[in-house]
Amino acid sequence: MELENHLTKLKDNDIKNEGAGTVEISVKDLVKSFGRRTVLHKISFDLNKGDFLSIFGPNGAGKTTTLKILSTLIAPTSGEITVSGIKLTDDPTPIRQKIGFISHNPLLYHDLNALENLQFYGALYQVPDLNKRIDELLERVELSHRRYDLIRGYSKGMMQRLSIARALLHKPSILFLDEPHSGLDPHAVDILDGLLDDIRPEHTFIMITHNLGKGLSLCSAAMILDGGNIVFYKDKAALNVDEFEQTYRFIVKGENE
Amino acid sequence: MSSLKQIWAILKKDIVLELRTKEMLISMFLFVMLTMIIFNYSFSAERNDLTKFGGGLLWLAFTFTSLLGLNRSFVHEKDEDCMDGLLLSPIDRSLIYAAKVLSNLIFLSIIEIIAIPIFSVFFIKYDYTPKLGLFIIGVILSNIGIASIGTFLATMAINTKTRDLLLPILMLPLIVPALWAAVTISGAIMGGPYGHNIAVDVSNALKLLVFYDIVFLVVPYGLYDFVIGE
Repeated sequence: MELENHLTKLKDNDIKNEGAGTVEISVKDLVKSFGRRTVLHKISFDLNKGDFLSIFGPNGAGKTTTLKILSTLIAPTSGEITVSGIKLTDDPTPIRQKIGFISHNPLLYHDLNALENLQFYGALYQVPDLNKRIDELLERVELSHRRYDLIRGYSKGMMQRLSIARALLHKPSILFLDEPHSGLDPHAVDILDGLLDDIRPEHTFIMITHNLGKGLSLCSAAMILDGGNIVFYKDKAALNVDEFEQTYRFIVKGENE
Repeated sequence: MSSLKQIWAILKKDIVLELRTKEMLISMFLFVMLTMIIFNYSFSAERNDLTKFGGGLLWLAFTFTSLLGLNRSFVHEKDEDCMDGLLLSPIDRSLIYAAKVLSNLIFLSIIEIIAIPIFSVFFIKYDYTPKLGLFIIGVILSNIGIASIGTFLATMAINTKTRDLLLPILMLPLIVPALWAAVTISGAIMGGPYGHNIAVDVSNALKLLVFYDIVFLVVPYGLYDFVIGE
């Protein structure tokens, strides 16, 4: 009952970031409908530069849709979104230059080798001094020795490591992570977490995850989406892990019943 | 300049992938050869001189061959889920269209460069090399028309379950003007010496092709942003 009251309070979906930093991502009254089905109901939140927001929620809650809209892959039905001071409805090209996207899907061409994949994306992002940057990143994700091997022969973990290099190639200031730990072996998880730690100070992150431990340890704020509504949002400093876990399990259980 | 580099990056990637997998070129080549073999058996039984029908037969084979290739325009993006990677990058969507038109144009032209001499040996008794320049212009203009509208429609069809069926249904009615022009030009040139009336037809067909190409390059270029997204 207490939980239900808490969830009802958040039903207005309007989260104000009260930190002192510069607002990097601002979402106001975001609505997304596919035909008659509305998957996001007027959600609003702000993220400051350097924030790390972990988004949790059951399947179909609208998490990936939110990330796809913010990364300009799909258009919102209504609402106002600003990324780095640029409105999403204006020319989205400069926003794309600022965003890196890591998903459980590596977005790599299987019949190109690692070097060719990175050269291709580097050319699209017009990365200066591309070969040096590729060497640097391949070294960092421990794939230098496999640079001439076709991706087709890579393991899932290796693909994901290369996918991290792909996403960081153009030095984005914002990183979107859609279940990035999914299917990774422990070594790849360590590399990903190490990389996230390294670049943490100068980046803003939004991560979708079902992994409570990982999501809560990395985040500066946590959000739960359910049925296209924000039902929980708290800064990490104010977050009670037990309360959060209880809320999350209550929502996921409710969805599955 | 930067736009040209982005177009070149996509084009180069498509060419490298095709040279490595050969999926598109081999299926197009086998189809066009099979069509010619069937033509040869079907018509030689009647001992007809096919010179007069050369243009029609040639473009019948090329139309269906191009459909095979166009259907595979985005096969790597679709099958390997790389479309999001392409769409996340800071490239104008219209440049993706330009790069894909160019790669389709190149693959179709490669097949034609192999198939036209073979077709000529099998079916054409008249030496049309003196008019080869005009013939090549006609083929290039027709290819541009097919590649431009075909790439646009292939993009529209990519997210549908029936993409293999949808592309021909959408494309065949729309390329009728280009096909008429292509058949008129190729038929006249392969068919032997022609008089003033046919020369006028050829000239009109060339003008129509230029107009068709401009329309079907400019309109999809402007609309591409709307079809490649959601």
